[in-house]
Amino acid sequence: MSDRPKGIVHWLTTTDHKDIGILYLVTSLFMAVFGGSFAGLLRAQLSAANLKVLNPDLYNQFLSMHGTVMIFFVIIPALAGFGNYFVPLLVGARDMAFPKLNALSYWLVIPAAGLMFGSFFVQGGAAQAGWTGYVPLASRQFSGTAGVDMWILGLHLVGLSSILGAINFLVTIINMRAPGMGYFKMPLFVWTWFVNATLILFATPVLAGALTMALTDRAFGTGFFRPSEGGDPLLWQHLFWFYSHPAVYIMVLPGMGIVSHILPAFSSKKIFGYKGIVYATAAIGVIGFMVWAHHMFTSGIDPRLRAFFAFMTMVIAVPTGVKIFSWLATIWGGQIRFSVAMKFALGFIALFVMGGISGLTLAVVPFDVQVHDSYYVVAHLHYVLFGGSVMALLAGVFFWFPKMSGRILDEKLGNVIFWLIFLGMNITFLPMHWLGIVGMARRIYTYRPEFEFWNQVASFGYILLFAGGMLLLYNMFKTLRKGERAADDPWGAYPLQRTLDWSVSSPPPVENFAKIPEIV
Amino acid sequence: MLLGFAAFGWADEPITNWLTNPEGPLARTIRSNFYFSMAAFLPFLLLSEVLLVYAIFRFKAKPGGQAATFHENLRLEILWTVIPALTLAITAIPTYKTMRAMEVPPKSDLVVAVIGHQFFWEYRYPKYGVQFAEEAMVVPAGKVITLNLSSVDVVHSWWVPAFGVKQDANPGRITHAWFQADNPGRYKGQCAELCGKLHAKMYIDVRVVTPEEFEQWILEKKGIAPPDGTMENQ
Repeated sequence: MSDRPKGIVHWLTTTDHKDIGILYLVTSLFMAVFGGSFAGLLRAQLSAANLKVLNPDLYNQFLSMHGTVMIFFVIIPALAGFGNYFVPLLVGARDMAFPKLNALSYWLVIPAAGLMFGSFFVQGGAAQAGWTGYVPLASRQFSGTAGVDMWILGLHLVGLSSILGAINFLVTIINMRAPGMGYFKMPLFVWTWFVNATLILFATPVLAGALTMALTDRAFGTGFFRPSEGGDPLLWQHLFWFYSHPAVYIMVLPGMGIVSHILPAFSSKKIFGYKGIVYATAAIGVIGFMVWAHHMFTSGIDPRLRAFFAFMTMVIAVPTGVKIFSWLATIWGGQIRFSVAMKFALGFIALFVMGGISGLTLAVVPFDVQVHDSYYVVAHLHYVLFGGSVMALLAGVFFWFPKMSGRILDEKLGNVIFWLIFLGMNITFLPMHWLGIVGMARRIYTYRPEFEFWNQVASFGYILLFAGGMLLLYNMFKTLRKGERAADDPWGAYPLQRTLDWSVSSPPPVENFAKIPEIV
Repeated sequence: MLLGFAAFGWADEPITNWLTNPEGPLARTIRSNFYFSMAAFLPFLLLSEVLLVYAIFRFKAKPGGQAATFHENLRLEILWTVIPALTLAITAIPTYKTMRAMEVPPKSDLVVAVIGHQFFWEYRYPKYGVQFAEEAMVVPAGKVITLNLSSVDVVHSWWVPAFGVKQDANPGRITHAWFQADNPGRYKGQCAELCGKLHAKMYIDVRVVTPEEFEQWILEKKGIAPPDGTMENQ
């Protein structure tokens, strides 16, 4: 393949799934620097009561953009990156089903990011209505400047990117598996992406519809969400959460897939209860569509709806529990090697269980009503999305970096990174449970003095997280320049796990397999 | 975990909330329901974390060590599906009872209309023809107060942690909540739904007084601001 363009032209024109995977991951890392810095500004403002680091307008802009960037430009693209790189590899295919469409999915993210970050520089600044964009606050009447329009259009573009990507993943997984790879021989990362792509395909168009309604309400004065026109602000909440609750699973399922590869690999065992995990993943996917209104328990919805959604929210805990117990049984009796990837995977279990149980308490409506829109929810969602998704992603980074780059990340430095992030995460977010219970509302730029102590603790925790993040960047930079070379199977996973990613060179050749493997 | 926090980090002023110092029967019911749920859920949290930590120390790789080879156990898998499911079903019963208590108030002694504005609260007492804004809501102790909430602009949420009440105030719709505070005093809260620039400053102040003081207060309010006859009856 000597006619392949080199350098920047190569990266701009590539349709190779591995290149696009890397593009997604690098973009996500770059965005994480911004999303993380926004969080730093918020924590700086909250490091004492009545500070004036940010004015209220800027605080609300960074607050809204922290959530938006982390969800739509960090976690989802990072999972898409690993998915792009490893799903074809793991099913024994040479590329995704539609390589050009794949490139389009990626390149849609860039203008979307341009709209989001560009909105800081227009008059009135970025959107200030939170990542949830509740109307009427996000309507033209109360957010008249272009920030919200750019936010809506940006989300439209990433939404389109996700939908096209989901179609690509589904077709790849359904049609391009190597001979002999039945559905129940697919590695769990493929399974989780299979369910994930289905969720994206069903949920994201609903977000697109809601965004379009919000946009026409703003631009043309249609009244979808305006009571004076017969519309209803609660309609936005229903539609938004109909997407955004499944989106939580979209953000965590592939991470569970990654962890399901790492735990057995470093325990020298096979995954426990493979089929149980597959069924649990599918069950979470289905039930995930029936819990959205638990975000609306205080909104004044019909009491019967509260009862139904409370029940379904409890039900979804059952398949989640099945997974956690299966992971524990996987490491049970194993010979555990504590690589950094394994530490992040074990840290994932420890933190995700916390997030899962605190999520379960939110199904208890009377309690949920007390802590809804308080720091308890901030704590819960960060245990799920940071403790869950991000820890799993970091596990994936240490696990698969050698495969992608041909070099092994520095494990000693990685160990320091793990402990900084694991401790920093807990110091930042554990106290927030308590702050919420005693009455600190979320999304406030200042607070009453009685909440100061635990806010100071949380802001201190951020410093550890920041240091961990910076060291991770340094580790990658250093390793790419002169890291230890990786063998085809640097973790010794292949003999027992038989996943195809470890059967090819590191990095794999263009088109992965000279001869498509047969699975026995 | 929760009690661990309780010992530290309090400033000079005690924070009133439904957990450490619930005010009135509703807040106490909510707390009991919370304790019951925690008693049901926390064992699963502890079990998972303890098993995880135990496995980490117990199954550390040793030179020449052999990993176990089991990778399924149907009985175990059924067990860890059924036991959590049953636990949740049991938790649902008192939860539904408490939800009913929140949704169906006892006979109302006083109706107050609560109206959210960017960035203050307006209160109307239709029975007395009293209305005012940007000052403390005043209610009699030991009485059932029912609230009719709405908003003139964006979504707000009326939250007083000590009473166990949080209810969104939406434009174009009236929502309901109730509470009963037994002890006179001042109770603090704040808007719980992001409502714009000064959301953080949209405080709620409730003064609970004896019924006699309440009657006196109503008279004073009427003297200062006589009813103008345009007040809506909710």
